[in-house]
This record gives sequence, structure tokens and C-alpha cells, in this order.
Amino acid sequence: MNKKVLLTLAMITILACNFLFPPARSEQVVTSSELELKGITIVRLRPEAGDLQTMLTEESQKATALGQIPVVEFDASWCPPCQAIEQSLGDKNELMLKAYDGTYIIKLDVDEWGWGDSDLHDFEFDGIPVYFKLDVKGKQTGAVVDAGAWNENIPENMAPVMDKFFHGE
Amino acid sequence: MKQLVLPSLLILFLLVSCTQPPSSVDQASLSLGSFTENDVDVSIQLEKGLQDVSILSATFTPPDGYHLYSKDIPIGGLDGLGRPTLLELSTESQIKAVSELMESVQPQIPDFEPKELLVYPAGRITLSIKIELPAGDQWLDDSVSVTYMACSSNLCKPPVVGRIISVRIPSANTFDTPYHGKEIPNE
Repeated sequence: MNKKVLLTLAMITILACNFLFPPARSEQVVTSSELELKGITIVRLRPEAGDLQTMLTEESQKATALGQIPVVEFDASWCPPCQAIEQSLGDKNELMLKAYDGTYIIKLDVDEWGWGDSDLHDFEFDGIPVYFKLDVKGKQTGAVVDAGAWNENIPENMAPVMDKFFHGE
Repeated sequence: MKQLVLPSLLILFLLVSCTQPPSSVDQASLSLGSFTENDVDVSIQLEKGLQDVSILSATFTPPDGYHLYSKDIPIGGLDGLGRPTLLELSTESQIKAVSELMESVQPQIPDFEPKELLVYPAGRITLSIKIELPAGDQWLDDSVSVTYMACSSNLCKPPVVGRIISVRIPSANTFDTPYHGKEIPNE
């Protein structure tokens, strides 16, 4: 009798543990919000999560559902200009927030995705950071801009160019 | 007229004698190899210095408007940003370094953030190190490694870290052989 009760209690405890403390998922999370910014969504895709084009299609559809413009950004942790842009958004610079308003930024780290690799689906670029506009199917629209479009990486230079790229024709 | 010819010839002779002889460094310069990766051209040279000391150099030529980072920033970058420009000997190398790494131009504070991340002026940079070649009269296989990363004020190429370059080097007594500036023997 005692053995049965103990066994039942042990099983209930194990099951409860699984609910209370679920085991960590071994796979990478597909996307992760990096910055909490009003009107702007920033996600990062990781190669372990699957095929790039499939993920870009999914993210573009999410963007459209939110009424936002899907844009791919290639960046890297070692890239000072990339970090300067991220910093200006992190600092909630008003010019940058206005320029990025209504965008859905899909970040791809070149250390993870490679540079000019075949699985990048025709994303061609000479330097980073670089931005590609996507359509609702996650395909490139042909609109591309890189940081060569402005001079020093300060919001006063970056914001007008990005605003025009995101919201212009 | 005859009187003028002799002094003229004498002056001409003196002028020719006074002109500088070709640099000994040029005469004793050996190209050890070159490659291009991530749009930066890299060439490795060996030059005969004074006495037993030679000079091993790497010249890095980034694209127009691009700069390289100071040799003195951390290998992993400053807070992860940038990568140093380096020319290094492998631990098993038969070449003995007898100086610190020297740079052809001084790094400077950039016009852009982060200001602590020192850069060389845009364009070509040469790093050199004084070395002693191994004794003997043979040609030897060795290797050096280079690290660099090229950026403009707002665009970056991917870093190249610790790329190994196989080189064929002369030993101390071989460096005065007629191979200078010519093809390096394979065997």
C-alpha cells in the first residue's frame, strides 16, 4: 500500500516537474525580438532553424499582417557601422525611430549565414551593413541600400536615407 | 673645342659616380607570396637587412576608401569590434623574431565612432618584423600568418583571422645567392 502511494506520488512529482520546469528546447528559437520598439519589429533568423527562404516568407507574412515593411539586414558583431546603427536604435534616437517606423527588420548575421554563399538566395553585397526590401512572399523587391549611401554613421546622416529607403517609392 | 671635351667628360664621369647606387634592400628583396581575400591584397616579402638580420614584411592593400585596424587592438577586437592587422610567425617557425612588429604608418583616432578603435589611414599598410634566418645553406618550408579586417567609415568586409601562408625561405647563407628577386626554387 505504502509502496503504491509512494510510486504514485513520485510519478505525479515527475509529471509536475515537467510542467513547472519544462526542459530547455535543444533547437534554436526561430526568431527573437531584440529590441522593444514601438512600430518597429526586429527579429534575427538563425540557420539552425531551417531554410532561409521558408523563414523569410513566414516573416514577410507576419510583417504584412502587422502592416509593416519586411526588410532583411545583414550585419555582424565585429562590424562597427552595424553596431553604430543598432546603438542609435537602442538609444531610441528620435530621428532613427521615425525613419524605422513601420518596418519589420529581419537580421541575418554573416558569421552564421556566410558571405555570398549559395543558400543566401541571391543576396549579393560587397559590404555590411546592407538592407534588402522584401515583398509579401519574402522575395527581394530589388530595393537595396547599404551604409555607403551616407557619410559618418550618425543619426542625422543615416535617418533621412533610411527613411527614404523604407518609405519612399 | 678639344679643350672642352676632356673637362666635359670628367664632369659627366663625376656626376655618374655621385648618383646613388641601387638600394641594397631592393637587390636583396624576395617575394614570398601573395593572395587576395575579402578584397584586400596581401603580399609577403623578405628583405636582406644589416648583418644577420633580415626583415619580413606583409603589405596589406584594401579597396579604395577602406582602412585597416591598428596592430595593437585585441585579437578579438575592441569589445568585439574590428580586428587587428597582424603578421605573425608560427610557434614551430624556424625563423626567429628579433623585434616587435613595426608599422609603416602610425594608427590614428578615427573620425567616426568608436573613437578608441584606432585605425590606419585609408590605404596600404606594411607591417614588418626583424628576423634571423635559420643557419645553413638550404631553402626551407615555413609559414607565417596574417590577420586583418577592412572597413570604410560605414561599410565592412569580413575579417580574415590567422590565415596561414606557406612560404619558402632561404637560410642565412642562401640569402646571398642569385635567387634574389627571381623564382624561388621548389626543392
